[in-house]
Amino acid sequence: MELQIHELVGANHSAVWQPWAVQYFFLIAASATALFLTLPAFVLRRERALPLGRLAMLSAVTTGLAAPIALLADLHEPNRFWHFYAYFQTSSWMAWGAWIVPSYVIALIAYAWAAYRPELAELGEDDWRFAWLFRLLSLKGSRNAFTPAIGAVAALLGVAVLTYTGAEIFIIRARPLWNTPLLPLQLFTTGFVASIGVMLVLNALMLRDKALEISLNRYLLVALACVGLLGAVWFFLALTGLDPVNAEALQSVAGFPVWHSVATWAVLAIAIPFAIALVKPGGTGLVTGLIAIHAAWMFRWTVFMGGQSVPKVGSGLYDALLPQGLHSLMGVIGTFGLWIFLIIAFTTFIPWTRAGIPGTTAGVPERTATFRKASQS
Amino acid sequence: MATNRRDFLRSIGTVSMGAAASVASAPATALAAGENASPSPHYGMVIDLRKCIGCQACTVSCIMENDVPEGAFRTHVSVYEIVREGKDPAVAMLPRLCNHCDDPACVPVCPVGATFKQEGTGEVLVDASRCVGCGYCVQACPYDARFINEETQVADKCTFCVHRTSAGLLPACVETCVGGARNFGDLNDPESTVSRLLANNEVAVLRPEMQTHPNVFYIGMDQALAGRVAGEAAYRPPFTQLEEEHA
Repeated sequence: MELQIHELVGANHSAVWQPWAVQYFFLIAASATALFLTLPAFVLRRERALPLGRLAMLSAVTTGLAAPIALLADLHEPNRFWHFYAYFQTSSWMAWGAWIVPSYVIALIAYAWAAYRPELAELGEDDWRFAWLFRLLSLKGSRNAFTPAIGAVAALLGVAVLTYTGAEIFIIRARPLWNTPLLPLQLFTTGFVASIGVMLVLNALMLRDKALEISLNRYLLVALACVGLLGAVWFFLALTGLDPVNAEALQSVAGFPVWHSVATWAVLAIAIPFAIALVKPGGTGLVTGLIAIHAAWMFRWTVFMGGQSVPKVGSGLYDALLPQGLHSLMGVIGTFGLWIFLIIAFTTFIPWTRAGIPGTTAGVPERTATFRKASQS
Repeated sequence: MATNRRDFLRSIGTVSMGAAASVASAPATALAAGENASPSPHYGMVIDLRKCIGCQACTVSCIMENDVPEGAFRTHVSVYEIVREGKDPAVAMLPRLCNHCDDPACVPVCPVGATFKQEGTGEVLVDASRCVGCGYCVQACPYDARFINEETQVADKCTFCVHRTSAGLLPACVETCVGGARNFGDLNDPESTVSRLLANNEVAVLRPEMQTHPNVFYIGMDQALAGRVAGEAAYRPPFTQLEEEHA
């Protein structure tokens, strides 16, 4: 039966989860997946993995510290955050997240501290202006054989972070775009794209280690291939109707040209860095890294903001996909600004390029603590 | 309790004719009758769409009664033009509000227990002093019935005017409904108007596939409007408008 419906009077619903939420989901996924890439060096004690491990630790810590700030900013009543602990509800994934995220961040900081402890102690031994600070930071000791144990705990909490963030979104039946069973896996794989992209950019800007760049581009190839495969399966399930939720999700946006542009953009954001990394893995790290960061971030923007643009009962689209105004933009700029500040602070104060295999003295011999050199001069 | 505006006016007439009961005591009497039929009332609304004229009196009265901020609605009436097989268009009204579901999707997701289902009467309410404004309940509600109040910064929604019903009054939207389309009362009382309407009419609920078991029922609803309405929207964000023009 031919049916035409025109909504003459309706209500517009603005997005409740603001761009800060996009930033949180981007940063926390990048942190947890970067932490996994530290494991070969600092948990499995593989010396060849040290360059990757150091860069991954820098990425994990800085994104892991910035993420909860973004999450707090997305609360409309941030001064009531303590209610999460005073009125814990076992039925809510968000309530579990309130325990998982701080536990993860504490374990991450402890893991990084353990990994860097010998270098911190070394900086505290000499007679210079801030030696007392490093003695304090090292807790007057240099043993760190316990690093793998802390790393394993942090990794388990990283798994918990990725599980809760995926489940928190997936269980929302009212939003078909979020309720698709592949979404948690897509968040997981694009998390790897994000962390590898971050590491490629940091390597290009600070280390310029070509072997590491080639290695990271190869990891990026695998991550992008997984993302592409999951995307293809998603479309297959939706187009064939094998999964009714996927079909409903596709149907809810398929009629809008703006979503066609989003889909094309997403495919290009995966295909272009994949092609570059495949053909020329050396010398392209900055480009592939930036596009990878963009792809992972855009995926989250599309899922969270785009998902909120689809009415549950009305017609058309709400304003959420591209919310207007400086307020939204400031959320993105502010969070990235905080993250960049943390990178600067971390690389200035922590001898991050010197971390060795835990429990040994297998660190890199050169002393590159820029902070100390500057203080001595 | 008087269940719609007409019943309410009728009860006023009873008072003016010198009956012993006052307006205030009439609901109490009805509630007492409800208590005989069931240990506690279970409130619900039955909206007879054949009587709705889309005047938005309910929308306005709700805003005035509950101090709803500009740009947000606890209830409103969606208006649609439906054209079937090229025939003359028909106009359909659909009052929307919180469905006060028996299995509400918003309650289990709340991380701090601020959203809860009132024991006995069954209204789904928000404890504003506990809500952290995370918006998870807004995402989970399948009816777009919740929002974050820009003034209070916490989750907001229809309460079935619990502050009025607990004082024996009707919800503001029911009291101001010009056509008598909105009916409110005790679903546990077989003699209540809402129960009789449910017994004698074919009724539908919004998005039954969500299995939330709503307590807002519609008489005469076009099934094309029961879920997400596949049609052209009244409001189109600027960027989609441009895209559609190019398409």
